[in-house]
Amino acid sequence: MASFALKLSKSVAGIAGLGGLGSNVAIALARAGVGKLIIADFDNVEQSNLNRQHFFIDQVGKSKVECMTENIRRVNPRVKVEGHKLMLAADNIPEIFANADCIAECFDSAGAKQMIVEMVLAKMSGVKIVSVSGLAGYGKSNDIKTKRVSPRLVMIGDGLTAIDNCKILTAARVGIAAMHQANAIIELLVDEIQI
Amino acid sequence: MNVLKVNGKEKTFAPDKMPATIVDLLKLLGIDSATVVAELDGQIIERANFAATALKDGQSIELVRFVGGG
Repeated sequence: MASFALKLSKSVAGIAGLGGLGSNVAIALARAGVGKLIIADFDNVEQSNLNRQHFFIDQVGKSKVECMTENIRRVNPRVKVEGHKLMLAADNIPEIFANADCIAECFDSAGAKQMIVEMVLAKMSGVKIVSVSGLAGYGKSNDIKTKRVSPRLVMIGDGLTAIDNCKILTAARVGIAAMHQANAIIELLVDEIQI
Repeated sequence: MNVLKVNGKEKTFAPDKMPATIVDLLKLLGIDSATVVAELDGQIIERANFAATALKDGQSIELVRFVGGG
C-alpha cells in the first residue's frame, strides 16, 4: 500500500486535451495522488462543455488550462501541475510531454488521436499512451473496454460510437471511458514504471 | 495459402491475392488510413510509410482504429 502511494507520488502523467476525457482523467489522477500532471489544451471553457466536462459555470470563458489547474489545486494541492495553453501538434508533443511516464490521449478528432498515438509510439520510446476510441451516446456501459494492444499502448472504448454519427455525448458514458483511462494509467504507473 | 494475422485473427489469402502493402490491406478492409495506427510484428509503422511497407506471409498486424469524440 505504501509503495502504491509512493509510486504514484513520484509519477508524471501527461494529459493531452482537457475535454470530457481529459478534465475527468485529471481530477481522478489528482485524487489518486499522482505527483505531477502535465496538462495541455488551447481552448476556453464553453457553456456547452458543462454537460460532461469537469469545469464550473463560473469558469465559462476562461482558459481550460487555468481553470483545471485551479480545480486540481482545490482537490489536491500537493499535485504539481504544469499547464500549457496551446494547440498540441506533432512538432511540440515530444517536448511538452518529454518528462511524462504515461500520456492520456484526450483529443476529440479521430485524426488527432491517430497523430499523437503514432507520435508517442514512433518517437517517444519509454513513454506509454492510453487512448480512447468510441465513447459517444448513452447506455451500453459494458461495451466500453480496456485493451492492452502492445507494451506501450492501451486502448479504451467501444471502438465504434463516434461523435460524427451519434451526435450525443453524456457525462455518464464519457465518464466511464475517462475512468477506464485513469484506472489504466494508475495501473501502468504503479505496476510498470521504474522509479 | 498465405496467412496474415490481423488484430489476432488469421486471414488467409491465395498467393496472388495477398495484399502487397499496408495500404493494400486497408483498402481491402475498407479502412481509412488517416484514422489508423499500425503495428507490424510489434513494430510501429508510421502512416507515411504504409504504402512502402510490404506484407509477408506469416506476419501479424495490429490495426488500431480511431473514431471521434472526447
